[in-house]
Amino acid sequence: MRLDKIATIAWHEYVVNVRRIGFIFVTLLFPALGLLGLIAAGFFSGQMLSLARSQFVPPAKPAGIVDDSRLFTPIASVFAKGFVAFDDEESAKRALLAEKIRAYYVIASDYLATGQVTAYTENIISGSASTESGDLRTFLVNGLLTGKVNDATLTRATNPIKLDLVTLDSKGNRQGGGSFSFIAGFVAPYIFSILLFVSVFAASGYLLRSVSEEKESRVIEIILSSVSPTELLAGKVIGLGALGLTQVIVWLGSGFLLSGGIGALVAGAVVLLNPGSFVVAALYFLLGYLLYGSLMAAAGSLGTSMRESQQIAGLFTFCAVIPWFFYGVLLANPNALLPRVLSFFPLTAPTMMMLRLPMSEVPLIDIIGSLVVLLISIPIALWAGARVFRMGLLMYGKRPAVKEIWRALRNA
Amino acid sequence: MAEYAIQVEDLRKVYGDVIAVDQLDFQVGRGEIFGMLGPNGAGKTTTIRVLMDILKADAGTVRVLGGAPGAARERVGYLPEERGLYRGLRLDETLVYLGRLKGMSVASARKRAAALLEQVGLAEWSRKKAQDLSRGMHQKLQIVASIIHDPALVILDEPFQGLDPVNSEVVKDLIRDLRAHGKTIVLSAHEMSRVEALCERILLIHHGRAVLYGALADIKKQFAPNAIEIAPPLDWQGWAEVARVEARDRKQVVYLQPHIAPRDFLKRILEQGLFVEQFALATMPLEQIFVTVVKGE
Ligand SMILES: Nc1ncnc2c1ncn2[C@@H]1O[C@H](COP(=O)(O)OP(=O)(O)OP(=O)(O)O)[C@@H](O)[C@H]1O
Ligand SMILES: [Mg+2]
Repeated sequence: MRLDKIATIAWHEYVVNVRRIGFIFVTLLFPALGLLGLIAAGFFSGQMLSLARSQFVPPAKPAGIVDDSRLFTPIASVFAKGFVAFDDEESAKRALLAEKIRAYYVIASDYLATGQVTAYTENIISGSASTESGDLRTFLVNGLLTGKVNDATLTRATNPIKLDLVTLDSKGNRQGGGSFSFIAGFVAPYIFSILLFVSVFAASGYLLRSVSEEKESRVIEIILSSVSPTELLAGKVIGLGALGLTQVIVWLGSGFLLSGGIGALVAGAVVLLNPGSFVVAALYFLLGYLLYGSLMAAAGSLGTSMRESQQIAGLFTFCAVIPWFFYGVLLANPNALLPRVLSFFPLTAPTMMMLRLPMSEVPLIDIIGSLVVLLISIPIALWAGARVFRMGLLMYGKRPAVKEIWRALRNA
Repeated sequence: MAEYAIQVEDLRKVYGDVIAVDQLDFQVGRGEIFGMLGPNGAGKTTTIRVLMDILKADAGTVRVLGGAPGAARERVGYLPEERGLYRGLRLDETLVYLGRLKGMSVASARKRAAALLEQVGLAEWSRKKAQDLSRGMHQKLQIVASIIHDPALVILDEPFQGLDPVNSEVVKDLIRDLRAHGKTIVLSAHEMSRVEALCERILLIHHGRAVLYGALADIKKQFAPNAIEIAPPLDWQGWAEVARVEARDRKQVVYLQPHIAPRDFLKRILEQGLFVEQFALATMPLEQIFVTVVKGE
């Protein structure tokens, strides 16, 4: 193994493929879609909001107050914009029908005892009464307490809670904050695992194409006269793995920019809050790529054309997708027998474990077991891959029969 | 430094139940042009691929530049039978990459690429993509690619395939030029006239075995018929020594009876006072030797 040759191949693969139209298109597609979505969302939400305003909540119009309790009139000057007092329901109703006010509230005479308030609006859908209930609440609290307590208490009474949530683990240690920890601990790793999965398959797809193109164009024998099949395979796996990583980085980076930093914050939180499972996920990512990559390269060398190679490779991709079929089982119980069995089968292990990891506390034995299975099967896949590769590359115009593949694997 | 550029002993290579090469022995001396001949499917490409470490031998020993196949990749240049280059890459990019794989620096690969493209008349194509080249140009580019790193040993599997006479000459000159610089060249070919013109020693393979091997001159002597080439043509009516006569160009090939030595025959002609401008021992063209051996097997 000559590292300089591997580096030369890796660099060549990276540079040649990174400037392909197809790669650039796919890499920029996601950010472009995101940007488009954002623009569309901005446009529509702006429009919807103004539409909603014009329909339901004309901000210029105040609400009427018919204060039978005599607790809230006259209306304090700070609320003069939002509320107008009416002496009786009749005059308030007339004002509502004349569209001078958006709604009116009748505060019962025994309000202090019952808290009874009746809201009147012109049409039910407007829901303005409920949407304005926050304001109404402030108005009522203010009216009840003004003059009885100091200003600080009054302010606190109208806005009594600034919530911070702390989750404790079984040892009583802080785990982080509330819904954020849910996103960081569950949703983000999940998205992350999908992303890693996508990049593994993007990269091994490039590998497949690169090998089958070199075979199709007959350039492969010249390359093999300069480097060994193992060096070639290693160089391609590294170079195209870096290409896949580039794609993920662009996607993550654009996600960061488009979400105004929230995405990166969440991703950062994933790493910080759960460094253990992040390392494990990264391991599955790496091992998964090495396994699928060497199998894809072998598949690429077997077909007589790109399309044929893709069909052969489809077999491996299918295996990797199997865990998604059992998503239902997984949701019900991530540690059920079937998911556990699939975690120990090399072709399904990376995907299965990436799915299981964020869902629950995965038994340590499963993590160690599946990693060991992968670590054992990767050298085998590389060895078999390089061997099939060597044979497949020199077979032009015909696809080797299973018998011939078997012979290549048996013979030195 | 080993004496031979290539040493092959008792080489055997099988594909499933097809024996492609069997009991093959030969050596290629340093600095010679060595030709590998043989009908289609004889096992030439298989042998070459074993030399290049692209295939593993099933039995026998193979030494290339004194080491195992694959040990001296950087000192061996190779033009495969199945060949092509990156269609979407520029010529200079491809050549620099292949040079890098052979251990050259970018700068020296670039310099050498420019010089070689100039030599084969492809200089102005250097920044074009390979897909824009004609077949013959492609072929020349491939040969350039195989010697980009100035190898000590060059192995060319059918270098004349698909070349017009002019470009064949260009390639021939390139090979002679390599030879003049002390390189060893091994080539396989079907064009006997080219092999005859270029090679010093040859190996004829048939059904995976060597059927002829040695210096071209010796082989030609061995296959020389008991005949002379003579000009101008004469009438041989009534000569007991003459078995038969063939016209060849402006000359005659006179086949003698087995017991007649050419030297005695010449004496008789002179005694008869006949006018002779040319008198030479006839040789069999390589083409004919090839056919004779292959058919006679
Ligand atoms: N990859 C392979 N798998 C199976 N058999 C093969 C393979 N390559 C070559 N052979 C067989 O091995 C024998 C030798 O083939 P080889 O290509 O070495 O011949 P060659 O002398 O180069 O012929 P040509 O002049 O046509 O190029 C043939 O019978 C061929 O069918
Ligand atoms: Mg051949």
